Amino acid sequence: MTRTEMTQDEINAIFPKVAETMADALGCDVAKVKPSASLIDELGAESIDFLDIVFRLERTFKVKIPRGKIVEEARGTLSEAEFETGGVVTEAGLQRLKEFLSEVPAERFGSSLQVANIPRLFTPETFCKIVIRQQRSARAAATPAA
Amino acid sequence: MNNHFCAFSFVDRIHPGRSPDHISGSYLVPSSVCAFPVSLAAEAVGQLAAWAAMAAVNFERRPVAGIASRFELLNSPQPGQWLDLSVDIETIDSDAIAYSGTASASGVPLIRLQHCVGPMVAVADFDDPQALRERFALLCGPGAAPGRFGGIPPLIPDRSGGEPGSSATAVFQVPTDGAFFADHFPRRPVFPGSLLMHAKLELARALASEAPPAPGAAWVLSAVLDMKLRAFVPPGKILDMEARFTDRSSESSAILVETKSGERPVGSARVFLTPTAIP
Repeated sequence: MTRTEMTQDEINAIFPKVAETMADALGCDVAKVKPSASLIDELGAESIDFLDIVFRLERTFKVKIPRGKIVEEARGTLSEAEFETGGVVTEAGLQRLKEFLSEVPAERFGSSLQVANIPRLFTPETFCKIVIRQQRSARAAATPAA
Repeated sequence: MNNHFCAFSFVDRIHPGRSPDHISGSYLVPSSVCAFPVSLAAEAVGQLAAWAAMAAVNFERRPVAGIASRFELLNSPQPGQWLDLSVDIETIDSDAIAYSGTASASGVPLIRLQHCVGPMVAVADFDDPQALRERFALLCGPGAAPGRFGGIPPLIPDRSGGEPGSSATAVFQVPTDGAFFADHFPRRPVFPGSLLMHAKLELARALASEAPPAPGAAWVLSAVLDMKLRAFVPPGKILDMEARFTDRSSESSAILVETKSGERPVGSARVFLTPTAIP
């Protein structure tokens, strides 16, 4: 999920609706939902809020979002062993994660990232990109093969 | 007395014709109880959804109370009534169940739940998976013997402050013991989210009574929106509750009810009120 796969215009087009959906789920003012805000550290999201956000986005955008598989998707072609060792993301894993979560400022990744802390990196823009990917997948699935 | 499947179980039968996206069942409210709060009708619908979810994942995981986007309070259940329970399942996987559902009695709708989400947890941490399998088979077959529920104790938050007619704070002491803890859950007692909702509705009702919509009229609780439960509440926990009007007009009003344990948010809900004339 790199920036080259989708344009900023695409992200900007759906961000207001994503922000509104997140504000409803988190019970906060929509103005607080900035594209690069950490959902956990800045907006106070907990695991139940992530579930809430995902289901609300599914209903709003009529897409299916693969719950609990965001980290798996982030791993891409790397095997689990290549991606993490003892619960800590490897150098190769970190590189892959930075590409996948290209919207997250580099300094937030740190040098020793626990797999359990990956959701701390997620931002509203992360979810914009997930929605766009799922919309594209749905469109591709609906298009008859030539 | 073993209160498993007795003190806090609200599905007596699961009807034939279950499908991946629908399940229905029934529950007889014992005529011996003096009241059956509307939050327990919601619990019954949630428990029916939980049976569908557990069966879908071979009783390895089970859902717990999490989110109800909309909970409409249409009519009050009465002792002695058969509740017809119906659940439409949006999705079930090892992380969560998403569903909507209703409870009705003799064709009269009592409650409607929309867009509920129950996060899944490991069954074995809370209950005996084999006992649940056997219970499910019983419910899908001949059904359970009705009349096992003995009622709940008064769950009234203790008012501690606020501004009359505008806000109310209260302390809520979760009971340290109660028959329902043996059923919810046998391996890890947790105060049911539906009973916490009941306590919140009591506080909202008390606040609403202080600010009637007009002379000769009163507020009626009509719906609960964005109900979210963030943490397990163990027996004996002391919770702080706050209720405050967030919108108020002569046609409708809303009260936000929040619950905390110390600084930690435990749950929240927005209660909607509609006016009615006092007879």
